[in-house]
Amino acid sequence: MDVFSNLATGFSVAVSFQNLAFCLIGCLLGTLIGVLPGIGPIATIAMLLPVTFGLDPLAALIMLAGIYYGAQYGGSTTAILVNLPGETSSVITCLDGYQMAKRGRAGAALTIAALGSFFAGCVGTIAIAMFAPVLAGFAEKFRSPEYFSLMLFGLVAAVVLAHGSVIKAVAMVLLGLLVGLVGTDTQAGVTRFTFGVSELYDGIDFVPLAMGLFGIAEMMTNLDRKFEDRSQTQKIGSLWPTREEVKLAVPAALRGTILGSLLGILPGGGAVLASFSSYTLEKKVSRSRAMFGKGAVEGVAGPEAANNAGAQTSFIPLLTLGIPSTPVMAIMVGAMMIQGIAPGTALITERPTLFWGMIASMWIGNLMLVVINLPLIGLWVSLLRVPYRMLFPCIVILCCVGAYAISSSPFLVMMMAGFAVLGYTFGKLGCEGAPFLLGFVLGPLMEENLRRSMVLSFGSPMIFFERPISLVLLLMSAALVLMIVLPSFRRTREVAFQE
Amino acid sequence: MSQVKHPQDFWSGILFAVVGVLALWLGRNYAFGAMTRMGPGFLPTVLAWGLVGIGAFLVARSFLLRGQPISPSAVRPQLMIVIAIVVFALLIERVGLAPTVVAVGVIASLATSEMRWRETIPLTLFMAALCVLLFIKLLGQTMLPWTWSF
Repeated sequence: MDVFSNLATGFSVAVSFQNLAFCLIGCLLGTLIGVLPGIGPIATIAMLLPVTFGLDPLAALIMLAGIYYGAQYGGSTTAILVNLPGETSSVITCLDGYQMAKRGRAGAALTIAALGSFFAGCVGTIAIAMFAPVLAGFAEKFRSPEYFSLMLFGLVAAVVLAHGSVIKAVAMVLLGLLVGLVGTDTQAGVTRFTFGVSELYDGIDFVPLAMGLFGIAEMMTNLDRKFEDRSQTQKIGSLWPTREEVKLAVPAALRGTILGSLLGILPGGGAVLASFSSYTLEKKVSRSRAMFGKGAVEGVAGPEAANNAGAQTSFIPLLTLGIPSTPVMAIMVGAMMIQGIAPGTALITERPTLFWGMIASMWIGNLMLVVINLPLIGLWVSLLRVPYRMLFPCIVILCCVGAYAISSSPFLVMMMAGFAVLGYTFGKLGCEGAPFLLGFVLGPLMEENLRRSMVLSFGSPMIFFERPISLVLLLMSAALVLMIVLPSFRRTREVAFQE
Repeated sequence: MSQVKHPQDFWSGILFAVVGVLALWLGRNYAFGAMTRMGPGFLPTVLAWGLVGIGAFLVARSFLLRGQPISPSAVRPQLMIVIAIVVFALLIERVGLAPTVVAVGVIASLATSEMRWRETIPLTLFMAALCVLLFIKLLGQTMLPWTWSF
């Protein structure tokens, strides 16, 4: 019953006029940017982060959560209507969603995606409300060795789940960790790799890094290609799914929700893994397997629900342990730090209104998306028709102003340009940005916890194996590594990413 | 000397190794410390050696394993966007937000040959107005809409 009284506290904060308004603005802005082809949620949030700077912490977090859901939702709209995935988790939606659109069922596909996501979002929110306090209580037992092992597990998972070469992903994590160490080493009082630039004493600022590495670099990559003719956006048709479609969609969405909620909690898992596995599951249990890839309703409902449930539950490790499990959560950590909030165990006990208010607003955000976006679909579609040659200068401008707004420093803008070039180069060389970003965020935390563990154990690395929780986490990491080494899993992994 | 068969791996290997060596050299004076008392140089050194190792491995493997070529760059778009961002950094404190936004918008638009002046000019003026309204009026950022200080 505690859960409900807690949620009630949350709702009482979240339904204030101001917070509802920020939730709404967040959803709208998130959809607005997320619907643009070639811009994923990471880039969207990074770009919109500066907009939240002036707000009080709760309002800022509510708005960011709204932006996140909006971006996810916008991504699936683009996937269904123009077959352009804005991010990896909507690649799956493209497969059958676009085929449904081609058959004239775009409206139904959008409705199914929206309602499936909404349902999954509700379940995900309840999951957070129920499990976060339990996990946080458990996490109170965590000391430095446990935190170190947990972060190691997260990084190993990020490597395993990265596409393409595993060895390159490992290198990207190392590189991210190294870049994360730039700045003042607080324990020794020494500045490292700062070249005497005073802006770097506090470490490399997160926002220009993320905007450069994801937002601008993605755009540079897009500009290498010839612009595709997007006038062929599919007609939407009726928004109402037929009775048969509903019959197929409901169980698929249910299965997707359960699968997604579970996978979202895993570090490194999150939304992407959820939608991939849900699609595979639906294909397995479906009676009409031949329909998949040709516009199967289950192929839209399942992955979309899984995607959203996973997106929701990936907040659990962040809010309870303070460990970001996905790049998007890494951005949320950055945002929380800017607001002076330290995510982690203490959040629930010390700032309950903030914690529960945010959870309540997640649910409200999901509801708003359904209520606002389905009627507004025409608006988003017309936005899709704006030619890219007019969109990208606007993105450049917004990123520049955003980077400058952090601390009125032209240096940060320059740094963003540097990271844009770096991100573009990574793309050309087939190196993934996501492991880099996670390494960057975890770098200083890992160093601190490693140091403390070594002080605790008088320099013996055995401490990580002697403490049970830490040992379990290390064994889980080892199991993940074994999975890559084993040839059978390797093959399925390649197949999964090829689709 | 045999041929590089995997250019992507070859060049990422070079990139990782160069960064690693650079980090080792820049961090040569940071105290390494001991296991019980890790110095500021401990983790950077370990990470940098890791990068050098993986870099060398990737370079070596690229002579054996076949892989995709690096897709060609158009150069002009990337160059124009970097210039646009640098121009923003240089102008923002000298001429203020509105003129800077117009300049950045025009330069960024030049990234593609499909750019049309009669679209770009109204668009950048609109963006300038929007940025002033959003960032200065609504969000209360400390920026001047326009100024002149060289």
